[in-house]
Amino acid sequence: MAVQRIDVRERVMARNDELAAGVRARLRSAGVIALNLVSSPGSGKTSLLERTLDQLGEELDIAVITGDVQTQNDADRLARRTARLVQAVVTGGACHLDALQVETALGALDLARTRLLFIENVGNLVCPASWDLGEEAKVVVFSVTEGEDKPLKYPKMFQQSRYAVLNKIDLLPHLRFDLDQAVANARQVNPELRFFFTSAITGEGMDQWYGFLRNQVRATAPA
Amino acid sequence: MHELSVALEVCRMAEERLEPDALPRLVSVGLEVGDEAGLEPANLQFCLETLLSAPPFAGARPVITRLHGDALRVTFFEVEDGCSED
Repeated sequence: MAVQRIDVRERVMARNDELAAGVRARLRSAGVIALNLVSSPGSGKTSLLERTLDQLGEELDIAVITGDVQTQNDADRLARRTARLVQAVVTGGACHLDALQVETALGALDLARTRLLFIENVGNLVCPASWDLGEEAKVVVFSVTEGEDKPLKYPKMFQQSRYAVLNKIDLLPHLRFDLDQAVANARQVNPELRFFFTSAITGEGMDQWYGFLRNQVRATAPA
Repeated sequence: MHELSVALEVCRMAEERLEPDALPRLVSVGLEVGDEAGLEPANLQFCLETLLSAPPFAGARPVITRLHGDALRVTFFEVEDGCSED
């Protein structure tokens, strides 16, 4: 038997990236800005979104897609803060969302009534960095209980993100966490990273986050 | 951690590029995996071996080349031609 070699040289992520490009084009033409929230489990993504929905849910026509390995707990929590449908994606074991799941979830959302879309990714600082979902930007949420060296341990996630939310700052008096060192570590792997310092529980620092979201929406007009 | 997802996508690429009757004759799959691709090569090897030993495949061997950087691509498929040499 002779063996025939077929040269391929194709990126494994090519299909996902093609789907993501389609999602991005669809969102842009609808004038929707999509932010992909990525973080380790327990950094406060859902709490940040709860408070954001309370403050801006109606003003900015916010829609949410949540991703979890199991349960719809996050979607249920967020559904209590908005009249809009919160679309839950249960990955059933997968450690990340992919563009096909987001494309499917978009089918359940009323994009004509949406200006800002949050995609709350699976809590995991490794895998979601590899999947483009068609978002405008990744926002890494990182909390002060996690240690200053997280950006150095998980550089890809911080390199892939345009914004960082350093959350749970109300706990700083109780912790030995060096805020300046954490920011320096993050900027070491991504000098362009823009930071927000928040407590989703007390509301401290949330006004800067809200101002940023309002500006993003204002700058994104339907094509 | 997402080696299984990547292995499933590699199998999908094989099914897309090769005729159905060629899939059981697939003998090897070449991949390049960068050290910043976020993948553990031994884990990926295990996932691919497992998937490539179940139908429609029949025991194709993954051949992983490690590189620097974030490359993650399929480089080749090798298929037995199915004709006996007589």
